[in-house]
Amino acid sequence: MPEWLLQSENYAPRADKDTFLSKSILALLGLISKIRAQDTAAAPTRYAVNPFFKLVFTLTLAVLVSLTREFAFLFAALTYVLLYLCVQPIRTLRRVLATGAAVTAFTFVILLPTALGGNGYSLTMMPVKVFTAVTAVNLLSHTSRWSELLSALKRFRAPDMLVFVLDITIRYIVMLGETTLESLYALKLRSVGRNTRKYNALSGVAGSLFLRSRQMAEDTHSAMLCRGFTGEYRVYQKFSFTLGDAGYILVNAGLILLYIYITRDANAGIG
Amino acid sequence: MHIPENFLSPATCAVMAVAAVPVLAVAVKKVKDELPREKLPMLGIGAAFSFLMMMFNLPLPGGTTGHAVGGVLIAVLLGPYSACLSVSTALIIQALLFGDGGILSLGANIFNIAFVMPFAGYAVYKLIRDRVKSDKGEFVGAAIGSWFGLNAAALVTAIEFGIQPAIAHDAAGLALYCPYPLSASIPAMMLPHMLVAGVVEALFTVFIFAYIRKASPGDIYAGATKRTPALYILLAVLILAVPLGLLAAGTAWGEWGAEEIAGVVSNGSALGYVPAGMESGFSFETVMPDYTIAALPEVPGYILSALFGVAISVIVFRLIGGLAKNKQKA
Repeated sequence: MPEWLLQSENYAPRADKDTFLSKSILALLGLISKIRAQDTAAAPTRYAVNPFFKLVFTLTLAVLVSLTREFAFLFAALTYVLLYLCVQPIRTLRRVLATGAAVTAFTFVILLPTALGGNGYSLTMMPVKVFTAVTAVNLLSHTSRWSELLSALKRFRAPDMLVFVLDITIRYIVMLGETTLESLYALKLRSVGRNTRKYNALSGVAGSLFLRSRQMAEDTHSAMLCRGFTGEYRVYQKFSFTLGDAGYILVNAGLILLYIYITRDANAGIG
Repeated sequence: MHIPENFLSPATCAVMAVAAVPVLAVAVKKVKDELPREKLPMLGIGAAFSFLMMMFNLPLPGGTTGHAVGGVLIAVLLGPYSACLSVSTALIIQALLFGDGGILSLGANIFNIAFVMPFAGYAVYKLIRDRVKSDKGEFVGAAIGSWFGLNAAALVTAIEFGIQPAIAHDAAGLALYCPYPLSASIPAMMLPHMLVAGVVEALFTVFIFAYIRKASPGDIYAGATKRTPALYILLAVLILAVPLGLLAAGTAWGEWGAEEIAGVVSNGSALGYVPAGMESGFSFETVMPDYTIAALPEVPGYILSALFGVAISVIVFRLIGGLAKNKQKA
């Protein structure tokens, strides 16, 4: 047996900072898992609300929440959003609540100095407005699949180019994201001890991500040619009206009426 | 830099959306002319690329991390028009799917991040690249261009924030949306962007640009052959001037008097702007006294409060239940 094999060694790798690598990995993992979860959102059931209505009314709600100056309406909208939230699967509930809470806390902190200046209106209204709007949009995205949202956009007569680009983007975020993730794992595993060239390597990962995306774009075009896909989208689902649709429209119409009622009332009070 | 919902007034959102439409229309036309049909998937994949760019965390001095936007990098790699469309797509997905940036403020976000940033940055990059005829020119151009592009976008964003208290306030002068005037929003946005974020952006851009240039130089956008730096500078100036025009238009509508602005500016301290109607303003106690809500009749008010309570309780109990279940599993 050679002598060097018998020598005992005491190798302790030098400590190194690589939080930015771990954070990048976590950010990518979070992104991919969000898209995956979204893609496997519950399949439409008998009571499912048509994504077209969801898109229309979520946008309307966002506009009304932004316009209103009355806390009463804001409170009604918040209650509606929370009621909708409380019947969601626990995973959706947690995710939507976490996002909403983070954005609201951020808004609150940003606005804190105004309260010292005596502007209590901003400090109360804005965080609630932000929470309501963000939660409404997140509920829309968590309760409908991306393909359903695209079909809703298509019903809005969105141009094919837009639908095509949005469709491709979400697929390639996952595909490119996974290859990037692998590169980052590799970089992390190979950085034993102190690696002073990680910054260089990271830009290499990003750079090769770009080159790979170019390659993929050409492959996609070839695949489109092979399958005779011209980039034209058609909605094959029949437009059926369910009980869920009726309830959804009823509640949202109620909110819109409430907005008109409260706003008119408040204006009459001033005038 | 994504503007969240409700920081901008609906009027500003509408104006910015109207401003974003022709930008996108021109970009679509340009890209259709420039990009051969077989490169069309590149738009979607470019959007995915720009989306993933924002996931990269970079080390900052002091042990923290930050992330780059990559708007100018994509403009340098794909050309400004393709960059505009790619970044817009990424912004649409962020708003619709992740609640990152508001839906109503999407127009403003597209204008700032997908238009101002790549175009202003690319203009500076091209200006330097065309003047300095060596490799250095490209790198210096990419560095200064990306720093400039990010800060131009931050400045436009700050101006959009800063004009809110002037154009959207109630009769008592209380700001309805973003409450900080220009004197507060510009330093608050610009200092961190000029000193930290812009430097990160420039480093990130140059490193990646250098890598791609070495590994596959043919993949970098060559750009129009004719030299038009003057046009680009004009464009950059115009871009920066547009929100100022908004401000001027606000004066013309007569929604706010000159003495009001004077008050804001001469106040000196940035945050100490105290509207006259402050005493009669909003107080915490009057929101829900005795479970009734101002402006609503008593009975519906009660019902609404009850529904609110139900929703909150269900959420709290389900969260606690979920925690307990997790513990059982473990």
